[in-house]
Amino acid sequence: MNESFVHKWKSQVKKGTLAFIVLNVLKGNEFYGYELIEEVKKYTAIEIAEGTLYPLMNRLKKEELVTSKWVEQTSGIPRKYYSLTASGTKTLKEMSAYWEELEISIKKITK
Amino acid sequence: MKPIAFQESASKKIYDSYIKRIKRTTSTLPKEDRNEVLLEFNSHIYEGMQRNSDPSEVDAILAILQKLGEPEDVLKPLIAKKKLLQATRTFNPLHIAKALVLNIANGVSYVFFAFLYILLFGFGYIIVEKIRRPEEVGLFFVDGQFETLGTMGDYPRDGRIMEVLGNWFIPVMVLVTVALFVLITLLLRMKQRFIK
Repeated sequence: MNESFVHKWKSQVKKGTLAFIVLNVLKGNEFYGYELIEEVKKYTAIEIAEGTLYPLMNRLKKEELVTSKWVEQTSGIPRKYYSLTASGTKTLKEMSAYWEELEISIKKITK
Repeated sequence: MKPIAFQESASKKIYDSYIKRIKRTTSTLPKEDRNEVLLEFNSHIYEGMQRNSDPSEVDAILAILQKLGEPEDVLKPLIAKKKLLQATRTFNPLHIAKALVLNIANGVSYVFFAFLYILLFGFGYIIVEKIRRPEEVGLFFVDGQFETLGTMGDYPRDGRIMEVLGNWFIPVMVLVTVALFVLITLLLRMKQRFIK
């Protein structure tokens, strides 16, 4: 087995699906940054630096798939809550449909 | 941003240095975006510390920051994109130069833009040279054919080699430079609109 090739491929797949995972985690939920990362980690071992999630959230926000709001805390250190927009929900549906298609073809081809 | 309170001075030092690195990395961004990044990372560190079960505060902060990643790496995509957006919005040449350097790694097209940009400085340089050596710099034609735009060292003044722009050289070069600059900025803007 070519280990380094598999390793690289895995990290590419992970990178490519991170936005899809994040959007799914946010489906019907509202999470602040740290919490969101914890949720993502429940489902997948992100080997990339956790901090990379913030630029990703910024991109999703610019694409108007998610929206965010700062909520003041008694600690004086506010939390930024993220949630899906209507367009985000629709986009996610589209992405899920594609994912299912892909899954079917992969299953067929790997048989 | 409200800084996080620490018990030990060592952990505070580690935290302060990390915050400083975020500030340094984002220093080229507009104030609002800088603050947003800072608040978000500060919140992340704070929430992490709240959940900490490690008896050593120093170990806890180190673990959180290690998982967060190096600010210079993690924030790169944000900086590059934001910078480009800001640069093309303002027409500020310094911003555009910085944005191009940051984005060169993001695609071949930015190398092309960087090349155009360097060309821009070429025109700037030629204007300066014209002022320094008015006789030797210009748009030269040899026997009615375009020969060179730039310097023509010591050439025989026998009428075969002609400098065609004369006093118009500097105004024309300024015009070309400005036109090229506007073109680069507009192209960059278009590129962003089509390829998000």
